[in-house]
Amino acid sequence: MFHLLLAADPSVPNDIGGKYVAGAYVVFIVLLLVYVAIMAMKLARIEKGLGEVAEIAEARRGEGATPAEAAQATAPTPSTTHTVTPGPAASSATAQETRP
Amino acid sequence: MYGKGLRPLSIATVVMWAITLSLVFFYAPIEADQGFLQKIFYLHVPLAIIALCGYVIGGIFAILHLRKDDPRWDAYSYVSIHISVIFTVGGLLTGAIWAKGSWGHWWVWNEPTLVSFLIVFLLYATYYPFRYAIEDRQRQARYASVFAITAGAFVPLNFLAVRASASLVHPRVFATAEGGLPTSMLVTFLCALVSMGLLWATLVKFELSAKSAQGQLKRLRRALDAPVGPPSSRIAPEVQ
Repeated sequence: MFHLLLAADPSVPNDIGGKYVAGAYVVFIVLLLVYVAIMAMKLARIEKGLGEVAEIAEARRGEGATPAEAAQATAPTPSTTHTVTPGPAASSATAQETRP
Repeated sequence: MYGKGLRPLSIATVVMWAITLSLVFFYAPIEADQGFLQKIFYLHVPLAIIALCGYVIGGIFAILHLRKDDPRWDAYSYVSIHISVIFTVGGLLTGAIWAKGSWGHWWVWNEPTLVSFLIVFLLYATYYPFRYAIEDRQRQARYASVFAITAGAFVPLNFLAVRASASLVHPRVFATAEGGLPTSMLVTFLCALVSMGLLWATLVKFELSAKSAQGQLKRLRRALDAPVGPPSSRIAPEVQ
């Protein structure tokens, strides 16, 4: 087998073979990119959903608190937290479920 | 939980792919018969092997699901099959391109290797409508597991049957009397196989993490009595 390698005259000329090789690798990369793009869209949807849930949680916390606490709760926070504290109406079971 | 270890795995995948591509284009010799065209071998064959292994792994996860009745294993099985289907599409497309360059045809219908691989793909393509047809989540998971086990057992049997049959044009490189690869090609191929395996594992973990985040968001919405919104997927198992 070794003596056959690096032969100068392949059955498929290298310039033609090169186009097919490029095509195959491009197809593979495109397939990966399509997958990554679909996953990116899904993650964007999750991020949007998390934002909505955080807003609801903050609004609920504001409803059940004193005016001073409510003002604090509705004030913009430096970062979005994913830890949710259930409102006063929430049961202990709900609190358990929302805990990460 | 599903995202644990995703970062080192992703880094390992990228590093291995950089090494593999360097080996493919700068180290592995140009094959005498096919010339530069043979470089597709380092992409097409690992894609096909990892896809078939992924189906078997999906079947093993399905066995664990039926034994332990834990929905997590169903999610693992679903995602393994899902990623393997994508790899199979890649294998079919790269194979068709190689066939066109090498044999002058995109597809050869009387070649057992090609047709059997297509059959495996079509078999797993029915996995999605099969899941979709069942409304109840638990029944869906159980039936899908049975499907994954049966189809997963079919994959190695199919492979052995194809190996036993006479090949017309598709080469048999491994474990044949006239076959075998020189060391430089073998090392490159093994690197490509490891890279493809790492990519498969990374994508499985990535998909599971995304599904887990989606599931936890849904739980959070339910806990807050917030509108749940349109269902993202009726086929995919809900990951906690």
